[in-house]
Amino acid sequence: MSNLNSIAMCTRLRDLAPSLILSVALAGVLGSTQAQTPSNAEQIKRGAYLATAADCAACHTVPKTGQPFAGGYGIDSPLGTIYSSNITPSKNGGIGAYTEAQFERALREGIRADGAHLYPAMPYTSYAKLSDDDVQALYTYFMQGVPAVDGIAQKTALPFPFNLRFTMAGWNLLFLDHSRFKPEPAQSAAWNRGAYLVGALEHCSACHTPRNVLMAEQEGSPFAGGQLGAWYAPNLTSDPVSGLGGWSEPEIVQYLRTGQLAGRAQAAGPMAEAVQDSLQFLTDDDLKAIATYLKTVPAIHLANETQAPYTFGAAANDEVLLRGTAPISDSTIPLNPAELFSANCASCHQSKGLGTQDQYYPSLAHNTALGHANPSNLVAVILHGVNRTVDGHTVFMPGFGADSLVTSLSDDEIAALSNYTLQRFGNPAAHVSTADVAMVRDGGPQPLLGRVSAWLRRIADFW
Amino acid sequence: MSENRSADIVVIGSGVAGALVASELAQAGASVLMLEAGPRLERWRIVENYRNLANKDDNQRPYPASTLAPHPEYGPDNNYLVLKGPDASSYSSQYLRVVGGTTWHWAASAWRYLPNDFRMQSVYGVGRDWAIAYDDLEPYYYRAEVELGVSGPNDGTDLGSPRKQAYPMDHLPLSYIDQRFSDVLNVNGYKLVSEPVARNSRPYDTRPTCCGNNNCMPICPIAAMYSGIVHVAKAERAGTQLIANAVVYRLEVDAHDKIVAALYFDANGNSQRVTGQYFVLAANALESVKILLMSSTDKWKNGLANSSDQVGRNLMDHPGTGVTFLANESLWPGRGPMEMTSIVDHRDGPFRRDWAAKKLHLNNQVQTRHATIKALAMGLTGPKLDQEIRYRSAHTVNINSFHDILPDPENRMRLSDQKDALGLPRPEITYQIGDYTKRSAVHTRESYGQIAALFGGTEISFDDHFAPNNHLMGSVIMGRDPRDSVVDHECRTHDHDNLFLATSGVMASASSVNCTLTIAALSLHIADTLKHALGKSA
Repeated sequence: MSNLNSIAMCTRLRDLAPSLILSVALAGVLGSTQAQTPSNAEQIKRGAYLATAADCAACHTVPKTGQPFAGGYGIDSPLGTIYSSNITPSKNGGIGAYTEAQFERALREGIRADGAHLYPAMPYTSYAKLSDDDVQALYTYFMQGVPAVDGIAQKTALPFPFNLRFTMAGWNLLFLDHSRFKPEPAQSAAWNRGAYLVGALEHCSACHTPRNVLMAEQEGSPFAGGQLGAWYAPNLTSDPVSGLGGWSEPEIVQYLRTGQLAGRAQAAGPMAEAVQDSLQFLTDDDLKAIATYLKTVPAIHLANETQAPYTFGAAANDEVLLRGTAPISDSTIPLNPAELFSANCASCHQSKGLGTQDQYYPSLAHNTALGHANPSNLVAVILHGVNRTVDGHTVFMPGFGADSLVTSLSDDEIAALSNYTLQRFGNPAAHVSTADVAMVRDGGPQPLLGRVSAWLRRIADFW
Repeated sequence: MSENRSADIVVIGSGVAGALVASELAQAGASVLMLEAGPRLERWRIVENYRNLANKDDNQRPYPASTLAPHPEYGPDNNYLVLKGPDASSYSSQYLRVVGGTTWHWAASAWRYLPNDFRMQSVYGVGRDWAIAYDDLEPYYYRAEVELGVSGPNDGTDLGSPRKQAYPMDHLPLSYIDQRFSDVLNVNGYKLVSEPVARNSRPYDTRPTCCGNNNCMPICPIAAMYSGIVHVAKAERAGTQLIANAVVYRLEVDAHDKIVAALYFDANGNSQRVTGQYFVLAANALESVKILLMSSTDKWKNGLANSSDQVGRNLMDHPGTGVTFLANESLWPGRGPMEMTSIVDHRDGPFRRDWAAKKLHLNNQVQTRHATIKALAMGLTGPKLDQEIRYRSAHTVNINSFHDILPDPENRMRLSDQKDALGLPRPEITYQIGDYTKRSAVHTRESYGQIAALFGGTEISFDDHFAPNNHLMGSVIMGRDPRDSVVDHECRTHDHDNLFLATSGVMASASSVNCTLTIAALSLHIADTLKHALGKSA
């Protein structure tokens, strides 16, 4: 189970299968068209849109080299690598032999045609909310709109106890809600559409809701923010400090469409993938609907946050103090963190840290990556960089991790750099230790289940 | 390091040549040991050294020379190179002995040679022919462009070197001054082209796009520009064992003329010995010669690989001249990388029988520093000083050139009587630039004057002194005949069949363009030869 949980976290953005929510929302918005029988071509087109909104390709297509939906993409988790399956209509390798009922069961309940349980890397707890119409459109699309690719994708072989897929039945009993999305009659069509998109298709809660010890989403804290491996998926509630209360609906829409909002936030890591692979392709109406809904999510305030994360920071001016004092050196030890900042960051983010005029290189002040009480994203960005392509334009920042071809910084250096930038441009109460950097480098905090599983494996080996 | 003192391949030198060979062989599964005389330097440290440096034009100073493995320093001059001959100062070269090598600082110009550059004697009756033809090297040129990440004009511009594939990246948009030069010169009988460069015009190989810091020399702060350190990292991640501060002072040869070991002084000055199946000497054109000459034995009295007596001879570079003037319009040099365009009318043609080919290039370096020095020298103060600095920064134009030079056995490097800290001899260089090059420089000066006139130039200042351009070639020259050359078409020494030389020293003609891409192509060729020899070909 810990496998499942960790996997779900690691892969959430990749294979947000849950087009379900979208379809429910569609049901609300498109009420008038619901009664008509759509043509096959329309169904395929709608299914394709739903599959994009659910970002099925994020997990079921190997990035860059893979054939669409042919699976075989390996998703690392603390429990082992989970390989996505071939969901093309091939009868020998894919799901070509699935009936619509079998397809629906896999999508909503995480159970394959052969009865085996899927790991919740597949976000079926979100897709359970999908409308019948949307499930049907997705089925039509995957059967008729996707080229069949023969060949069974590599099979997942997790170690004990996570190889026991039947254990998922118990987990599902506890955490799988079988109910469909139910529109709120008191709310607008846009609100209902947004609720459906957020809850079912885009499966936002998969990352943005904290997980319990069994790696299921915590019931009492929807969208309060969660840790996704190395990355922190922030609070999306309407709280003005911890959440999106201070964001206008157009700002939310711009961020979701482009991954960038000057003076606020830039999408990196899994959120960059969600924008790149899914959100940028949503219609304006759907993005507005998401914003409308998010603005009403009940506020949850995080006690350690007293100021909105995007309000911290100001221009730094340490460059003038640095120059003319240090001799030419071959030392590998920095004199001070300002030196690390100047050499590694300021060439793009500029010596004052406010970025370039066009904000292609964004300001570090007024930037959520440095403003949250949880500084994981700052450390993760330094280690892994940013790589986001939206509308044909790529935003790229190199990482400074062990595999960097620019510069590999040590844990000590990244901690020093993080604390310097937090003090100058971000939340001065946040602090990063060398051990924190090592943990983020290692994939982030290990969930309890993952730690317990190591014990279980030892016991199993003993037996 | 004591646990692994032997390897399939021992590479001496960790610049672009050695690192490419090591990276390729390690990735193919060979065991590789790489010895580098200099220390490791962090990119961020080099950037800080540059920013703390008063003289921004001193490309060597941000790389402090190690005590045990000095390299040339000129501010102040450490007299590491012992220079002699009529044109001694024209060989006051810059190179780095650090992990990653001299491509830490270069303009990243990644030209291919022309087909005729490989057959100067056959076609023009001057110089020498290589033992390899352009067509043989073409696939390796392309692989080198992919490895280094070359952006170039994919718009159909003919640079004279036939290519089968497009450049891995399109070229960067031209800076304002480069665009103006292109507009004006190309309608006035000149051919000005966008240079192919190992610089990212988009994210490539996990390195970012150039953002125009305009200090490619002495250091690209963001690694948008390729440096040998990229393949050092790749080599190490593929399992290569790199030993820094390992100053190789001797190669051991057995009775069958095979190289069996490399001896080096470690960081404590203690002698160490490593053995290997194949040895790749990639310590640049001068330091490689030094090692070969220092390795002399009773049988190899003139040094290893030197039965031809050509080791250390035929030194070449690209003697450069320049011009600076004030244009009658604002051109704003300094936006983007330091060099983007070249004038290529005289890279090839029948004239090469009589005078040297050349390439002229526009300097896009920001001119504020020189403008300020000049304005201060004029005695200006206050608003007039500001005004003058602004005017000169916007209007100053500087053009430089590379001239071809013929291989001349009398232009040579020997071991000096003067020693370094380890007691090893310094390189002693004798250099003279012949009439072949000088005749071309006269013609270049006329072109400078014509170009200045096209921009209404004033304060035209010609720099006729031949400047060194640090393209060290010819010292271990390639040829088909073992009696007058050092290596064959595979860069394998004629005298020792397990010794390869991966250095611009093998190049048998200088041509008129930067030699790095050709070094990289030859190094990949060596890597293929070695993979085949070890049975590790894919």
